[in-house]
Amino acid sequence: MSWIQTVRMAFRSIMNNKVRSILTMLGIIIGVASVIAIVASIQGTSKLQRLQYEAMGVNRIEVYGYGAKNRDWRDFEKYLDTELSDKVAAWSPQIQYYDWRSGGLQYRAQKLTNENSHTYMFFGNQDYGTVTSHVIAAGRDISKADCDSRARVCVIGETIKKYFFGAMSPLGQKLRIGGKSFEIIGVYEGKYGGKINTQDQLVVMPYTLQNTMMSVSDFTDKQYVIKAARREDISELTQTLLPDFMRSRCESGGGWFDAYSNNEWQEQAESGTNMLSLLGGGIASISLLVGGIGIMNIMLVSVTERTREIGIRMAIGARKRDIIGQFLIEAAVVSCFGGLIGILLGCFLSALIGNLLLGQIQDGYMPVVEQFTVLPSFGLIVGAFLFSALLGIIFGLYPANKASNLQPVDALRTQ
Amino acid sequence: MFWRKTQPSTADDLTAARSDLLIDVRRMSKIYHEGRENEVRALDDISLSVRWGEFVCILGQSGSGKSTLMNILGCLDIPTYGTYRLNGQAVSDMKPSVLSGIRNREIGFIFQGFNLIPALTALENVELPLIYRGLGHEERHWLAVEALAAVGLEKRMAHRPGEMSGGQQQRVAIARAVAARPPIIMADEPTGNLDSASGQDIMAQLVSLNERGTSIILITHDEHLAQMAKRIVTIQDGHIISDAPVKGGAAI
Repeated sequence: MSWIQTVRMAFRSIMNNKVRSILTMLGIIIGVASVIAIVASIQGTSKLQRLQYEAMGVNRIEVYGYGAKNRDWRDFEKYLDTELSDKVAAWSPQIQYYDWRSGGLQYRAQKLTNENSHTYMFFGNQDYGTVTSHVIAAGRDISKADCDSRARVCVIGETIKKYFFGAMSPLGQKLRIGGKSFEIIGVYEGKYGGKINTQDQLVVMPYTLQNTMMSVSDFTDKQYVIKAARREDISELTQTLLPDFMRSRCESGGGWFDAYSNNEWQEQAESGTNMLSLLGGGIASISLLVGGIGIMNIMLVSVTERTREIGIRMAIGARKRDIIGQFLIEAAVVSCFGGLIGILLGCFLSALIGNLLLGQIQDGYMPVVEQFTVLPSFGLIVGAFLFSALLGIIFGLYPANKASNLQPVDALRTQ
Repeated sequence: MFWRKTQPSTADDLTAARSDLLIDVRRMSKIYHEGRENEVRALDDISLSVRWGEFVCILGQSGSGKSTLMNILGCLDIPTYGTYRLNGQAVSDMKPSVLSGIRNREIGFIFQGFNLIPALTALENVELPLIYRGLGHEERHWLAVEALAAVGLEKRMAHRPGEMSGGQQQRVAIARAVAARPPIIMADEPTGNLDSASGQDIMAQLVSLNERGTSIILITHDEHLAQMAKRIVTIQDGHIISDAPVKGGAAI
């Protein structure tokens, strides 16, 4: 008998017992759907987290130092440019300017003070945007020439643009910062939807203006942001290369030096979610197992009910393996079919859960992630399908074998 | 099945290797629970031979051992002692899977209870042994339609057994038995569940099959029915007590 025939017969017998078959499938459907939904939404959350970390700057390292002399910092910058040039893609100073003494940010008569909101104002160099993953939406970024000539220019974030200019172009307009006038040369794309109090409320100025703006001239407190060339370089940079170079210089006068990257948190978080998805998937597959036992149970009932049919089939020439094949394929068809429905349901559920999660997260001060769907990976889908097919075969084996071991004479005698 | 080669199969290659005797049973016994207190000698030292083309009736009362004999002749069961050759092949010591093949190719069964599969249509029931034989879709469809037409059921092919009368069901069973053109038809009380008109119809079908060359073994307890065969083997308490041709031939 050809296997197409066997599959057809299996379909016939499933269709003859619709309600029973659907109930049997239900176990597999629920099992597969929950495995997929749980694993996919955990993986989706992890992916969302990664996207959000990346929004703050891919491969970003932050360096804080206190206690080193200006000469030491110049050495540090040279060290980044020469010896670490293959591991450091770009770097920039990051000095935050607090305007609490000078009455906030002003455009004509409008003010944005720190009393009701917090504006991030940084001094940086021409690579500041690159390191922090800010993309220019209009105008241009700060250039090396701006830095060298101490040009009174600034690039603003989307929140500032919206607040002062709305739909108008801010380019060429003058902002007053700390009582001094700055020409707006560019606007960064919003990463947080241009909301108040997010990092879109940003102003970046050439670092060479730092001394003009802030009264203390000989700064020993320094911050840098560094973009590592490769993800693999991050831990070497933060743990040995950067501290080894600077620690002694900073700490000679009782200062300190620290270099860290949120990549490490990210990796920890990812390994955590991997464990979680294994655990979640494992728990959900218990329900798959229960579904498999359900199949076995029904197949056993079916064998008992159809003993006479088995006898007839044997009398007219079915071999042991024909009978095994018939019941095995019946079980496999039920579980594969259940598996397919479960996969569809699982995809639907994970998309639903993913959207809920996304909505929750996006309410906070987190970067806006526009392109994001929580869907199970291809491997997960194939795995779930194969597992349900395997389940049908394993749990169908015992009933099928039982059926095939019937003696034709005895089976025919059953009523 | 997909892991199995197709059986070698048309009806022709069976008849090509014809042995002299279709059925050759020598000193055969079937003993249930042998050596125990409840030992039953269903068949006791029976010898029987049937030539090609015969119409033999095995006549006996309930409990005489005729059903056991039919099961063994039909390769549904194996004897405890003795040999049984079917068309020259010693079937008494064959493996179950080989016996399945023999039943499929050499024997057509007609049972008292019809034994059709309720979930399948008449056509599908008739096709079933052909499927197990590994015939292609068109060939088996053609054979099945032809067999159903021969029993006058060409208009009921899409009906399921539950939608047909007993007589029609038994005719489907005949169609199933003859579709693959086996050399032997074994009919176990084929009219037992039918009214007399349907019974006579079924018997007429058997006689006609025999006239066209098929060997028929009819098992019954009905002496009147037995008269329609050409030879009557009477069995009682597991022994053959008489074996004689029918005088005067068949009359319906």
